Amino acid sequence: MLLTRDSVELLAPVGTWDVLEAAIEAGANAVYLGGKRFNMRMFKTTANFDDAMLAKAIEYAHSHNVALHVTVNNLISDRELDNMRSYLTLLDELKPDALIVQDLSILQLAREMNLSIPLHASIMMNTHNEHAVRTLQSYGISRVVVNREMSLSQLSLLKERTGIEVEYFIHGDMCISHSGQCIQSGVVFGQSSNRGRCLKPCRWPYQLVDATTGLPVGDRDPGPYKLAMKDMCLYTKLPELIQAGVTSFKIEGRMRTADFVSGIVKTYRKAIDSYIADPMGYTPDLQGWENLQNTRSRDFSTCYALGNPGATVIGYSGEREPRFFSQAVREANMTVIAKKSVPESTINKHFAPTLNVRVADLPSLIAACQNGANTIYVGGEVAKPAIPWTLKAMAQAVEEANKYDAKVVITTPRITMERECGELEQFFNTLSKVKPHGIMVGNLGALALARQNSTLPVQAEYSFNVFNHVTTQLLKNNEVKKATISLEATYEQIMKLVENSLLPLELIVHGSLPAMITDHSIPEAILNKQYQTNYDPVLDTKQYALLDTAGQQHLIMMDQYGRSNLLFAKDLCLLPHLHSLTPVQNYRIEGQYYTPELVGLITKIYRQELNKISAQQSTYHFDTSQLEKITAASPRELGIGTFRHRLSK
Amino acid sequence: MYTIGILQLTQNLDDAVHGFKSELTERGIHAEFHYLNADGNIEQLSKLANQLAEKKVDLIFACSTPAATAAVKLTQNIPVVFTPVFDPIGANLVHSMAEPGGKATGVAGMVKAEDKLVFINRLLPTAKKVGILYHVEDTNAIVEVENFRKLINSKMHFVEIPIRKSEELSNLPDILPTDIDALFLPIGKIIEENFATIIYYTDTVEIPVIASHAPNISDGALGGLVANHAQLGRECAAKAVEILKGAQPKHIPVDTVKIPDILLNQFTAENLGITLPEDLREEAVEVFE
Repeated sequence: MLLTRDSVELLAPVGTWDVLEAAIEAGANAVYLGGKRFNMRMFKTTANFDDAMLAKAIEYAHSHNVALHVTVNNLISDRELDNMRSYLTLLDELKPDALIVQDLSILQLAREMNLSIPLHASIMMNTHNEHAVRTLQSYGISRVVVNREMSLSQLSLLKERTGIEVEYFIHGDMCISHSGQCIQSGVVFGQSSNRGRCLKPCRWPYQLVDATTGLPVGDRDPGPYKLAMKDMCLYTKLPELIQAGVTSFKIEGRMRTADFVSGIVKTYRKAIDSYIADPMGYTPDLQGWENLQNTRSRDFSTCYALGNPGATVIGYSGEREPRFFSQAVREANMTVIAKKSVPESTINKHFAPTLNVRVADLPSLIAACQNGANTIYVGGEVAKPAIPWTLKAMAQAVEEANKYDAKVVITTPRITMERECGELEQFFNTLSKVKPHGIMVGNLGALALARQNSTLPVQAEYSFNVFNHVTTQLLKNNEVKKATISLEATYEQIMKLVENSLLPLELIVHGSLPAMITDHSIPEAILNKQYQTNYDPVLDTKQYALLDTAGQQHLIMMDQYGRSNLLFAKDLCLLPHLHSLTPVQNYRIEGQYYTPELVGLITKIYRQELNKISAQQSTYHFDTSQLEKITAASPRELGIGTFRHRLSK
Repeated sequence: MYTIGILQLTQNLDDAVHGFKSELTERGIHAEFHYLNADGNIEQLSKLANQLAEKKVDLIFACSTPAATAAVKLTQNIPVVFTPVFDPIGANLVHSMAEPGGKATGVAGMVKAEDKLVFINRLLPTAKKVGILYHVEDTNAIVEVENFRKLINSKMHFVEIPIRKSEELSNLPDILPTDIDALFLPIGKIIEENFATIIYYTDTVEIPVIASHAPNISDGALGGLVANHAQLGRECAAKAVEILKGAQPKHIPVDTVKIPDILLNQFTAENLGITLPEDLREEAVEVFE
């Protein structure tokens, strides 16, 4: 297709009025900004636009022929829904050119309220496959900010196959974790990175240690900041970017100054115009490159645009980190008092709990079944050195579980890019031979594939970030039969969600959980820099961890797709709180990183407590010796996760 | 028509700029402004100061100590009005507060230790032992801690909790005295930006925190007595007008914060089971819910 000046939209970040004027003056085709409510930059009270300023900003942008996109890209809780409805009504009157959204409930609300504004899927939706895009399109999403892990060739294919407009971050701050899938700040501090309050644990110093010995690994330590992504800069790759068919070139930085934004916009504007005017004769302007270099915060990287960048994407020394937001803290252990601001729920009269357990292998499945599990989850990401579930092992799992009258639900990976989607499609088509009782999916694309290729009931994994009941409505409309509650929800938020949910919900009450998932292979980037071409089998057999400055180890579980699943230092344990959680009904133990013996023990104890609660009702009293048994057998210390906080902010 | 340069370290201090500009307008001064912001990058400041000098500005309004230092170091004789510099004498910007003696004057942003002491006492009347957590290499914190040492008071005993590296905050429970009734955080970048880690731990042991940095109060400190940056900017504008009309900065005394803002956090008070005194609530500029 022939290029015109309209082929590419240069999209600038705006936090205040002077930045708005500067960005437009510098040549942005579009700007994006947040109101005072519901956006991903909630720390600074001086930034963002109040309702009156929002109206003025839209008018100002339109009078300069510039599009204005409003970020409404937070996860929202049930208590915020009314406020969200009124905000959406206001926005519908103000008529910005698009809303950038994260929470699935907004798609549902937009449909119910018949909103006239185009919707764009925020990077926080972590959209990374064509099947998810098609579902989003059916909800009126006209553009997707594709996730940062997609390369230019992958997003070209995505665009070609779906016709969706693609927006891509071309300059600025980056996250190490898949967007929307980092819960470290939310769980530990009660300040969610999915709600604009990230305290950036990825900018903490860490040591890479051998998890078995606890000792630092070798003499190859490149510096303490193992997760500190460099800043994205695609200035030198503009021709590739334009030819890949990216519609909107997004600059990050809604907290930046007018000068800073203006400088970047001008530099890119000039380069884009000069390329479009004469693609064959184009060379990158060195002056522009120098301008970007001179005003940069961190060092630059092309990140994932040209493929997995490995170690080159990390600023290990931390020297150029502009500021820090927190230091590592000791995760809440079992002695920390849980904050339950709402009256504790009385015991559900119709309490018919299900206890469901995720396992890594057949012996664990048998142990769970023998000790009272109702459903066993098998499949999905498997941490090396364990091997992925084969079809044969799954069939055996079903056969074994049937003996105990237990069900088997097949889980699938949370992240399913092109490769995993291809595999899933084939897998779902062969599942009929395995005869499981259901499928669990981790994202909208996998959900679409499951529905197209299988008749089995489908449930939604915690990666859907179910944080309010309207999201359960959307999932129900998409034939989901059961959903998992967001791991960031606090007691009060869980109770509210369960009360209003349109679907049965499941709460993860015990286990080792990933705080972040990243395509960056943390140990290999340090120990085998050439890992993409040079295989080192040792790295597949050894267990590594990151040691933080509070003295805690975060295990790095490397899965079969080469992703690092970085675990919390403490394993979740809500056993003492079960009696106040009876409205939930469905409880899950994430036991895939435990031995079969431990899976058996934990299942047994949770089953005993659930039975006791059921039988004794209000006379139930938690026996701490049960907790002591689990504590003594656990490989890691236990903690109460979000129950430390009154609300997840 | 005057030409005024504004040298800014970070947009976090832009309230001072807004106050400065609006007061100038109210006083009938029409000026062309050149606003340069280093976006937190201290090394950039001398270059930006030079750019302002090249524009032949009549005066530079410098926000923060590093910006003021860069402006004063210019070889050109351009008057400088600064804020919220905490220690103008220590930073070698002036010889004395009453008689600056050089080309700079302004309004210091440090709230008096005496005032903070009174505030802490009003907020927590029963507090006897109060920790002061600070970073030993932070010059502003050192000045404030020194001021607290000089205080004569019989009501409270202050215990100093110095840290040398920000990572030490990860193990705060090991160095936090168990018997303190409250924790006071003096001005200082490292403590302010890692506030989330401090409040994480003090919450667990239910120790109220008194902060000096306004955003820390909405983020969970119980309260604080802080300089109002817009007000500092307005007071600087008054000095700027004097200079533009011919007065010499060396004879214009440096002021300090006269009426600091009281900020309180009701959500935190509830969590700690503390009742905020009614008179303080009434005087507060903002009570965060």
